[in-house]
Amino acid sequence: MTSSATADGGQDLAEQMNDAVREKFVMGGFLGEGTYAMVHKAHYRHDPSQVFAVKKIKLNAEYHNGIAPDAIREMQFLSELTHPNILKLIDVFSSKDQNLSFVLELAPRGDLEKLWKNKDITYTAADIKAWTNMLCQGIWFCHENFVLHRDIKGSNALIAADGTIKLADFGLARRFADPGTRMTTQMITRMYRPLELLYGCSHYGGTADMWSIGVVMAELVKRDWYLGSETDIQQVSVICEKFGTPTEETWPGVSALPYYVAPEKQNNMVGTTANRIARPRSWWRQEFMLLGDDGAEFIKGLLTLDPQKRFNSRRALEDKYWTNMPRPTKKENLPKEGGGEKAVGDDLKRKGGETPTNGRADKVARKLDFGAM
Amino acid sequence: MSKQPARAAAASKRLAEDGDICPVCKSSRYLNSTMQFKINPACYHRMCDTCVERIFKRGNSTCPIAGCAKTLSWAKFRRATFEDLKIEREVDIRKTVMDVMNKKEEDFETLRDYNDYLEQVEEIAWNLILNIDVEATTGKLERWKQHQKAELDAGPPLASGKGATQRKASQSSKKKDEAETGFTFHGLKKRVAPVKEAPYDPWGGWSIAPQYYVLQDNYDVDWYKRIKTDVHHVAGGHSLQDYCSQALRDAFGGLGVFIEDEILARDTPSMDADVGTEHAVAAAMSGKDANMNVNMDDVF
Repeated sequence: MTSSATADGGQDLAEQMNDAVREKFVMGGFLGEGTYAMVHKAHYRHDPSQVFAVKKIKLNAEYHNGIAPDAIREMQFLSELTHPNILKLIDVFSSKDQNLSFVLELAPRGDLEKLWKNKDITYTAADIKAWTNMLCQGIWFCHENFVLHRDIKGSNALIAADGTIKLADFGLARRFADPGTRMTTQMITRMYRPLELLYGCSHYGGTADMWSIGVVMAELVKRDWYLGSETDIQQVSVICEKFGTPTEETWPGVSALPYYVAPEKQNNMVGTTANRIARPRSWWRQEFMLLGDDGAEFIKGLLTLDPQKRFNSRRALEDKYWTNMPRPTKKENLPKEGGGEKAVGDDLKRKGGETPTNGRADKVARKLDFGAM
Repeated sequence: MSKQPARAAAASKRLAEDGDICPVCKSSRYLNSTMQFKINPACYHRMCDTCVERIFKRGNSTCPIAGCAKTLSWAKFRRATFEDLKIEREVDIRKTVMDVMNKKEEDFETLRDYNDYLEQVEEIAWNLILNIDVEATTGKLERWKQHQKAELDAGPPLASGKGATQRKASQSSKKKDEAETGFTFHGLKKRVAPVKEAPYDPWGGWSIAPQYYVLQDNYDVDWYKRIKTDVHHVAGGHSLQDYCSQALRDAFGGLGVFIEDEILARDTPSMDADVGTEHAVAAAMSGKDANMNVNMDDVF
């Protein structure tokens, strides 16, 4: 170590290795900038045909003495998980001003949220099936390796050049908790947050992610936000109005959760809709008519209030919905949005837990306040 | 006296040919502007739709045109596309022929073979148009249609199928072929059935199954029983199955790693790229260790 330090102008081995990684890439055009990160295009020095997105994390004022935890999480989980439906982390290096840079796979076709928002694109039930299946495969792989994503939403499901869905943004991810360990419930963007988190239960499992997938799927069907609200309390009432307030019969143990309010007490507060009973099967078929009967059954499995009864990722992939007609569209035939490089920048520069600040999401978006927790 | 009717007859004949007078009921379009003419592809005789309704609606009947005794059915009557009914008939015949004789250039080995085939098809069409050997030709067409259909079905190829390999078969077998299949064409490639698409795999070809241990449905551990009945864990969807699986994977996952094999595999790609990946892995590992020991996630 000392010999190399003297030979290379005071650089130690780690610095030399870091330089070697940085030298491999040639920075290209600027793709976008957010409060959290800056995104550039880059390519290999030895092979300019291979293009990547370089996400340069800005120095965080809260963590000036180290790396921000979401950067560590992202680095840890993205490098551990290698699956076609998970965004690949190619390399990590730090620049001279000690900013961390992630070299990521480039997903130039926008994301699922832009897709349903773009009214120029028409898609069918088979396309929704293909996208949801890729999403389910990605999250199944995460769960199979005991990683909770905790921030699944349309804008975190990027679309690669070949149409594959890539699960991105592991800034809020963590390992499955040991029994007895408390996890924070202020995870997952509110619109996609399941009821057990809103009720303040800190022992949730993989099924929390499955609820988010259910909401993403519902958004794809409706081509609109599905469960939108402005506060956590409102979110609870929106969910209860949609699917019925859970009781001890429908969800054993729910009354023990910190923020649970029984329907008979809710009556005075919210109104008569609060104690709506669970929706019958016919309602699900009506609500998700586009998906057909087995599709409605499937999304009902994802959007079940009781997390024990909700599909886990393995059960979701075992569903007969995938093998029934219509066959999921091949990824080369999926409708694509030409989001282009600008969109890539938008997708990657966001911080975990944020929704994009344009259009109708403005009121729904809320920054995760790490300091307050 | 005798000239008058003759002139009138000539005039009406001309009108009928022009298409304005129904040859059956002699009513004229001049008097009935909504009149429509219909034909039946069995004989291509024209008549107005009132006549068609009147004669054929109650059931099949013979064509009312003198000299034509074809039995026509009401359902087959339609408006002619072409003014000239000879063309109408030719188009219909060609349509039926092309339905059966639908080979393309890529189905033949050489362009010459394809051209020969086209010539034969043209001959069949003209035979039918000019009423030469109609019965023999339609019989052959029908047999060829059956043969094609049999070939399309998923079953094994017919024993008499004529592929490139069998092209130089003896004359006698070729004769037999023709009797069975209607036609033989020189240089026609054997039909290759398209590969049947495999059923959709929702797992994308991945499977993760433990190799070195079997996951039980239930484990009897004392401290664990408390968790099993803890209402917060149950109601929150915490899965003990996942926890057990994780613990076992952590314990035995390393058994599947053969370092010597990985070193061999690593030496194959270029070495200069490896410095970086090693560093990235090292960085990731340090992050992981920090997470495990300090339980950094639970700060939030």
